Amino acid sequence: MSILTAEQKQIQAEATAFVAKEIIPFASKFDQSGEFHPYLLDAARESRIFAMAVPKAFGGLEYSALTQAVVLEAWGYGCAGMGTTLAASVLSMDSVLVAGTDAQKKQFFEPMVRGEIGSFGLTEPSAGSDAGNGKSTAVRVGDEYVLNGSKCWITNGGYSSVFVIYALTDPAAGMKGISAFIVEKGTPGFTIGTVDHKLGIRSSNTVELLFKDVHIPAANLLGKEGEGMKIAMKTLDMARPAIASLSLGLAQRALDECVKHLQQLYPEKAQPGQTLQFKLADMKIEIEAARQLLHHTMNLRDAGLPYSAESAMTKTNASDTAMKITTQAVQLMGSYGYTSGIAKLMRDAKIMQIYEGTNQIQRLVISRAVLAPARPAVAVQKGGN
Amino acid sequence: MSILLTEEQELIGQSARDFAKEYLDPIVVDMDHTGQYPAAVVKALAEHDFLGLFLQGEYGGAEAGYVSLVEAIENLARSSAAVASIVINHSLAAYAIQRWGAASQKKDYLPALAAGSTLGGFAVFEHGPTPGVGASALQATRVPEGWALKGTKAYVRNAGVAGLYVVLACTDPAAGAKSLAAFIVSAKASGLTVGPLAETMGLKGCPVADLVFDNVILAESALLGGIADGNAIVTETLALASVAEAAQTVGIGQAAVEHAAAYAKTRVQFGRPIASLQAIQTLLAEVATDCHLARLGLRVAAQLLDQGEPFQVEAAMVKQFLARFGSKLLIDTVQVEGGFGYSEFMPLPRLFRDIAGTTLLEAPADYPEKTIAAALLA
Repeated sequence: MSILTAEQKQIQAEATAFVAKEIIPFASKFDQSGEFHPYLLDAARESRIFAMAVPKAFGGLEYSALTQAVVLEAWGYGCAGMGTTLAASVLSMDSVLVAGTDAQKKQFFEPMVRGEIGSFGLTEPSAGSDAGNGKSTAVRVGDEYVLNGSKCWITNGGYSSVFVIYALTDPAAGMKGISAFIVEKGTPGFTIGTVDHKLGIRSSNTVELLFKDVHIPAANLLGKEGEGMKIAMKTLDMARPAIASLSLGLAQRALDECVKHLQQLYPEKAQPGQTLQFKLADMKIEIEAARQLLHHTMNLRDAGLPYSAESAMTKTNASDTAMKITTQAVQLMGSYGYTSGIAKLMRDAKIMQIYEGTNQIQRLVISRAVLAPARPAVAVQKGGN
Repeated sequence: MSILLTEEQELIGQSARDFAKEYLDPIVVDMDHTGQYPAAVVKALAEHDFLGLFLQGEYGGAEAGYVSLVEAIENLARSSAAVASIVINHSLAAYAIQRWGAASQKKDYLPALAAGSTLGGFAVFEHGPTPGVGASALQATRVPEGWALKGTKAYVRNAGVAGLYVVLACTDPAAGAKSLAAFIVSAKASGLTVGPLAETMGLKGCPVADLVFDNVILAESALLGGIADGNAIVTETLALASVAEAAQTVGIGQAAVEHAAAYAKTRVQFGRPIASLQAIQTLLAEVATDCHLARLGLRVAAQLLDQGEPFQVEAAMVKQFLARFGSKLLIDTVQVEGGFGYSEFMPLPRLFRDIAGTTLLEAPADYPEKTIAAALLA
């Protein structure tokens, strides 16, 4: 593990304690009912953890990227569904951090400091991996924009106070015609559509957002018209490591549960054989390696260095690791794993490979970076000697 | 040995597919939601001879062999892995009785199992803390009438719906697993109760529960094989389970890859169907390859069984292969369907939850490797 400061260790301990008290005991219940967990927002209010990414100037905690990763890993360990609520709210703030004016930051961050949450709305049925293919529009009318269209799979949507919504201000310009807006809950014409029932992260609220002639002040435009895609990409660079953090929490939890179960199966002092010992060792190696890459990526961001490729790599690596390790853990625990809450870890892990850019999209980004350097000037010799 | 199917085996596979489309496809979504045991479907399975496929003709079985059995299981599992589980666990009990039963036991029990008027269950596992197939939680002691069974077997599939169970019990606490013996126990036996149904991630519709034995008195004739046969009954029957569950896994994987391929042809991103992207093609190609190789492996194990040859090592290899690649069949096909594929409104989440239950390694989870290595090093 990268070396944490005393303050970071303190925050980690607090997050772990909070998760043990407020999340772990209730995770199965909310997973089974598939309902959102408003109680958690109340429990977290005093700690202002939902404002961990908000600058101190706006009343937030202004945690460094690394510190945020440590907190999110603890939440992922407790429940990746509830962890997703926190991660998605931070994601919505990231767009405002990237492009917001002070007035917009105040508008967006104040609810967060009060313990409320936000949503990031980019995806549409026609715009998943092809994020620039959305159909929603925003038309300038006087000092307002009028929003029409819909967004899908929006995390926290039914419970958020503030939203960052991406819409076309210039449909003819395609991706370059996308702009980002702050939209507040309750704006006339803005409603919540279908609630999705998912394989995992079931306590996380995933909904459709519907916009019908929604008038928002022109002052809610983030950055300039047409800068939406640029803002979204920067936002996702910032946010992807959050998925790595949740994934790590899932993987670590799976390993811990697996070890606990295997130890119960064996009489005192007896150990599982080397086949199982080595499987556990491999799981540990993969988790540690994934954590190093995540912390390194966070250190780059905290140092103000480029980290876009690392962001894609850590998201891919940690989520693939989580999927593999949660699957192995259920398998090694046999029917016990399959009939207990452990199986939830596997269902939760699957989304980590999909949301905030599928791992295929990440590999596209990474392979571009790999192939970017000029080809070697010396011709590669063909054929045999 | 031919790895190609005979005409009869192919026909049985095809009739299982037809059966699945007619009887299983209409109920799978509801069954997954409610977890309700599909009694009417099991009756229809019996009427179509799927419950006595490999049993001998003299007991009313179709005597079609084990390759036919795994063909049927794969084709049923393509529609409903839960129904395949019901057939598999019934078959394990029937197999044990046909293989180790005395003439009178076969005559007494096999006709009803072959006809499907009685469903079978196989009770071998226990809750911890014992590594391995449990040999401590259920004790069989001699009494004047024969045997008295006290204790609990865990994770019994077809629990509560089976008419008879083949049950493994410890006959000598000091000898532990070495003293395991198998008993045929009627579901109506006095003192036998079924615990609450376990909440399983998938395979919903195939009930899983504990069997609790509160001084269940059995006649001497309930003992299946000799006391010394208990371990062979466990290893060989679980080897058959590995082969049958491999067929079930491949059936789920096949259904998933077909669904994902169809989805990829219609889902348009970047101005074209995602099926035209090589990244998607590779995912599908890898899944199809793993399905194919697993199918070949399990079919060979079933052929060995048909020929009366040892098949445990091949069964262990299939088990190990699918422990590595089985769940990946769904991890990667869900990936093809992305955010849509993660929604429970789509079919693959059910298959994802099901396949995890067909690739479990019951404790001790290292038995496939142990079996294979023991044969290599003998």
